[in-house]
Amino acid sequence: MDKAEAILAGLGGADNVVEIEPCITRLRTVVRDGGKVDDRALKAAGAHGVMKSGTVVQVVVGPEADTLCMDIEDLL
Amino acid sequence: MAGRAIGLDRVPDAVFAQAMVGPGAAIDPVREPGEVLSPISGILVKLKPHAFVVTATDGRGVLVHLGIDTVNLDGGGFVLLAEEGGPVDAGAPVVRWNPAAIEACGLSPVCPVIALDADPASAAAIAASVALGPVSADDRLFTWA
Repeated sequence: MDKAEAILAGLGGADNVVEIEPCITRLRTVVRDGGKVDDRALKAAGAHGVMKSGTVVQVVVGPEADTLCMDIEDLL
Repeated sequence: MAGRAIGLDRVPDAVFAQAMVGPGAAIDPVREPGEVLSPISGILVKLKPHAFVVTATDGRGVLVHLGIDTVNLDGGGFVLLAEEGGPVDAGAPVVRWNPAAIEACGLSPVCPVIALDADPASAAAIAASVALGPVSADDRLFTWA
């Protein structure tokens, strides 16, 4: 599984992602079900940190956020 | 940029405050229109209105983030003065902005300056080297040995 796939899985899979957009250091996502987001899987996938507030999840990935976001969008 | 150097722990954003993207410091800028200068010489590998990354020839990168949550402004209030992908010298202007206008939008104009992917030993040295207090645009904020 590549990094984009691993992060998408950590976010609960493609069906759980409503919206994803890159900031310079993080992926800002809106998910359907916050309970399906797996912090540990996201960190194992290389995230520096995860911040959740309900259905809004920020995954801190560093400056590669742009390219990673495009890879994830390809999977949606 | 001119302002006051503060520790990252005082940045009102958990990602920067907990140094999740790396160690560094932040500048609480003077509230007047001004130019943001490149902190190092290198290639401007990323340039967004509200943030940029310069990577030196040795591969080490520095991120400058102009204000907190300023991505939501969609570039409003920022004027780009350099080109993404091109070389920049330390001290060259990269973005023109007005911290007072950012604050008027209800956002923090505090600017984290981050040493990207610094290893833990360097991170401690960087954190220890931060010169806190008033800074002018060409002052050294921290040292990454």
